Amino acid sequence: MASVLKGALKSIRERGLGNFLRELREEGYLSCLADGNLLQTKIHNIGATLVGVDKFGNKYYEKLGETQYGRHRWVEYALKDRYNASQVPAEWHGWLHFITDHTGDELLMLKPKRYGVEHKENLSGEGDEYIYHSKGHSLNPGQRDWTRYRAWEPTKP
Amino acid sequence: MLARLATQRLLEIRQAFRQIPQTSRSLSTALNYHLDSPDNNPDLPWEFTDANKAKVKEIISHYPSNYKQSAVIPLLDLAQQQHGGWLPVSAMNAVAKVIEVAPIRVYEVATFYSMFNRSKVGKYHLLVCGTTPCMIRGSREIEDALLKHLGVKRNEVTKDGMFSVGEMECMGCCVNAPMITVADYSNGSEGYTYNYYEDATPERVVEIVELLRRGEKPPRGTQNPKRINCGPEGGNTTLFGEPKAPPCRDLDAC
Amino acid sequence: MGLGLLASRALRSSRIFTSPVSRNAIVRTIVSTPELQNPEASAAAQSPPEDLPIRTPVAGARVEFTNPDDAIEVFVDGYPVKIPKGMTVLQACELAGVDIPRFCYHSRLSIAGNCRMCLVEVEKSPKPVASCAMPALPGMKIKTDTPIAKKAREGVMEFLLMNHPLDCPICDQGGECDLQDQSMAFGSDRGRFTEMKRSVVDKNLGPLVKTVMTRCIQCTRCVRFATEVAGVQDLGMLGRGSGEEIGTYVEKLMTSELSGNVIDICPVGALTSKPFAFKARNWELKGTESIDVTDAVGSNIRIDSRGPEVMRILPRLNEDINEEWISDKTRFFYDGLKRQRLNDPMIRGADGRFKAVSWRDALAVVAEVIHQVKPEEIVGVAGQLSDAESMMALKDFLNKMGSNNIWCEGNGMHPNADLRSGYLLNNGISGLEKADVFLLVGTQPRVEAAMVNARIRKTVRETHAKVGYIGPPTDFNYDYQHLGTGPQTLTEIAEGRHPFYSALSNAKNPVIIVGAGIFERNDKDAIFSVVETIAKKGNIIRPDWNGLNVLLLNAAQAASLDLGLVPESEHSIESAKFVYLMGADDVSLEKVPSDAFVVYQGHHGDQSVYRANVILPAAAFTEKEGTYVNAEGCAQQTLPAVPTVGDARDDWKIIRALSEVAGVRLPYDTLGAIRNRIRTVAPNLLHMDERQPATFSALLKPESGNKTSSTPFGTAVENFYMTNSITRASKIMAQCTAMLLKK
Repeated sequence: MASVLKGALKSIRERGLGNFLRELREEGYLSCLADGNLLQTKIHNIGATLVGVDKFGNKYYEKLGETQYGRHRWVEYALKDRYNASQVPAEWHGWLHFITDHTGDELLMLKPKRYGVEHKENLSGEGDEYIYHSKGHSLNPGQRDWTRYRAWEPTKP
Repeated sequence: MLARLATQRLLEIRQAFRQIPQTSRSLSTALNYHLDSPDNNPDLPWEFTDANKAKVKEIISHYPSNYKQSAVIPLLDLAQQQHGGWLPVSAMNAVAKVIEVAPIRVYEVATFYSMFNRSKVGKYHLLVCGTTPCMIRGSREIEDALLKHLGVKRNEVTKDGMFSVGEMECMGCCVNAPMITVADYSNGSEGYTYNYYEDATPERVVEIVELLRRGEKPPRGTQNPKRINCGPEGGNTTLFGEPKAPPCRDLDAC
Repeated sequence: MGLGLLASRALRSSRIFTSPVSRNAIVRTIVSTPELQNPEASAAAQSPPEDLPIRTPVAGARVEFTNPDDAIEVFVDGYPVKIPKGMTVLQACELAGVDIPRFCYHSRLSIAGNCRMCLVEVEKSPKPVASCAMPALPGMKIKTDTPIAKKAREGVMEFLLMNHPLDCPICDQGGECDLQDQSMAFGSDRGRFTEMKRSVVDKNLGPLVKTVMTRCIQCTRCVRFATEVAGVQDLGMLGRGSGEEIGTYVEKLMTSELSGNVIDICPVGALTSKPFAFKARNWELKGTESIDVTDAVGSNIRIDSRGPEVMRILPRLNEDINEEWISDKTRFFYDGLKRQRLNDPMIRGADGRFKAVSWRDALAVVAEVIHQVKPEEIVGVAGQLSDAESMMALKDFLNKMGSNNIWCEGNGMHPNADLRSGYLLNNGISGLEKADVFLLVGTQPRVEAAMVNARIRKTVRETHAKVGYIGPPTDFNYDYQHLGTGPQTLTEIAEGRHPFYSALSNAKNPVIIVGAGIFERNDKDAIFSVVETIAKKGNIIRPDWNGLNVLLLNAAQAASLDLGLVPESEHSIESAKFVYLMGADDVSLEKVPSDAFVVYQGHHGDQSVYRANVILPAAAFTEKEGTYVNAEGCAQQTLPAVPTVGDARDDWKIIRALSEVAGVRLPYDTLGAIRNRIRTVAPNLLHMDERQPATFSALLKPESGNKTSSTPFGTAVENFYMTNSITRASKIMAQCTAMLLKK
């Protein structure tokens, strides 16, 4: 704890109080007070190694030794207010879930760029506009003219 | 450590991707399906020559009349010799007609055996043995030397149409490894030869190629002057006298 | 541990267990016990344990002993089973109720033995045996659930999955895939293959079969099907080793009328249905067991629907009719059910345009007009897709109106409805397999009835039966002799002047098949009497064998003749004032007077609808329950798989309602009541799924004195893919017509 305080004082001295506070807000320390999960993650982060940061800004930590084996890798999401597991991109998923020891950055290096789409988080439950409704569904706005058969049109003579 | 592993794996993957066009069908000279091209399409007429028609008859006479299709391999071989070392689709169709089967049955056979070339080869088709004994004795160097000398890739024909290099599996000359085979299609099916050049070295195969280019016939068999056929270097070390019959068997009786 | 080691270990233990001599012998020597030399004796000595549960054969596998002396006994997992000589180990296991996993083995195709999935352990055999290719020997002790068999299967499965892509979630076979099921049942939960998987270029087999060749496991079922059943030698196995692939080598479409069946026999998702691709997953579908009405064969089908849509059509097993194949037309015409549908009653106004009206108005108009015309000016034509119930209702209704001019299209003007043998396939479709000589008169079975053609081909392939053909030049997928094109050839055969006559008269079971296209000819009776002369001379009609067959074209034909839909006068249509078309689209309407009132009742806006004054929308065969009689006289029924479209109604209900509006109420309100009425006319229509052969043969018929004309026989079906209103509306059938028919 002392080292944390020392570090904080050092950065205040170097960058000024305003900058320090802004960083604190951006890093989500302020929402720690309301969000116990985030607070716990932040506490875990102390002394852990930052293994990598993905393109969304999620930070991946690892701490070997004191932590219980199997809980030694975790992620701190980039979004502090609305985060869920689907924000982890595919290349980091394996590392995070102990499927592989290759980190996401290494896997990105390996990936043959032939197929694959950009990672998108799952927005289910985030509002109706994100939910897919099949054709013919009353909530599917685009395809309301769909019919199950096409009638004969008596236009021809 | 991880990074090194990763880069190594990356290299492997790259290698795999790069090599696919060349090595995936290294057994044979072509793909397993046919793509129409001006010199190879089913509309081109193809027939056995008159001399070969007599041979066709002779070959078919070896088989029962209701099993004509058994003649498919010798006939394909004959067609390949006649057509300068490779089989266009129309030649396979002609064979199918002779043995009265559907063309696909002939295609099946022709794609199965790597000795049937379904794309163009040179007048002299050089086959380098790539099986283990030859490989240990340096067949890769021989192939490299040939490819470098001719300026082609594997299964590619030189610009003058004279040479092509392919790989073949074991041709049974392991005692004189490494070896190459020269299939000579320059004189049609009459003058067709299929000669082994054994105990080859990278220098010697280049010499052989140059001799062939000049139209000479380099002596076949072992290229090591100190050996006689597959005998040991520098003369026999054993079997000096007339070999005796095995004691356990009475050879005259059989 | 290698398989061999495992095998020898198991063998050693079992040998110690079974033979009393070697039990105490530590050194393994060749034992000469009588039990082992005579397997039957040892089998008898080792009686099966009493507590074995009774097993039921797999998938209704049956066994017929043609010669009881040939029966041998084998033991499957200790359970004794009697089988005829020559059966394979796999078949023996099936009879014993053990389902052996397999990919390449198919009971209707030749044995390939190349997938190795069916490995079982056989006692005293050093290695596991491929049971599909191994003939069962007397006293063989087959073990299907030993560690060796399990390990062998697991190993084979691992090899098969080595190069198989893991794309089950996007594969159309997913959920009904043999490989998926069997890897769940017999496979390992992990593989050890770390190399790159093989990929294969997809082939273009035409508009019906989609290929994803990377998924192929080289079982060669499709190659064998194409060669043996479909009779098109296009597919083959190209290359060798890991480069092996199924293909046509040269770019070639699969131009067979049975090509869709390769989708069913493919055990993986390499060959899937192109029209069905990515449309639905098979577990979402509701299956309805129905029959096909696009030709007179009445193939048994399963209509797979999702909600109100027919998604696909699959064959159903019926050994007597279609075995387990169906033609491409049957399988792929279903998209025609979604296009060009009539969904509202319509009346043509004074300006010549159709206007949608209510049922009440439409029926009122029809009833009014039908009372204004004279009874003999009323004509009714049933279409080729009509079911028996609606034809009965139409006939009753028009009879009550005083007219008897009602017939079914395709039957011609002088149908012979008196003798059932005069319009049925008297041998039955499966009975054709016993024939040794075929004479096809004016029929091209390949396009008229693809499943009958498949039977003839099967017979020709198995017994080298001779086929003679009289008619215009056409494609056959078996050896045949083209005897001639017209009735003269027939007369020559009848007079014994033709060389084919001797083949016919020397044959044991000769078969003559007359095409129903002849019904439309004017000299039809004369041709039939010539054919009957041949039948009499060639001893073709015997008490045990009635080889004189007629091959009908349409699903409604047989039932309409059974019900007696025969026109009273030949020229009725030329003087008609009121024409009632019940789905009749192939009837020639040029002769109808221009002032005649035409009612079209049907489900598709096809051809006749443009001449109609009133349109009454009806249900298609997938939407109603109806009885159909197929070419061999077997009554079968369709069942509704999907609801009707729009305001459409069942055919018989429309006529029943119309009769009430017209004041001649028909006395039936339910399908049961209408079937009771049918019972009085043609009771054979009520015996579902049972072939009712004709009782009297054609020999009873008096000879007609007409002369045959010299006009050659025509082709009855010009385009295999488009024969009725549904298939003409289908996009897939249009594609097939454009791409597959040789022009």
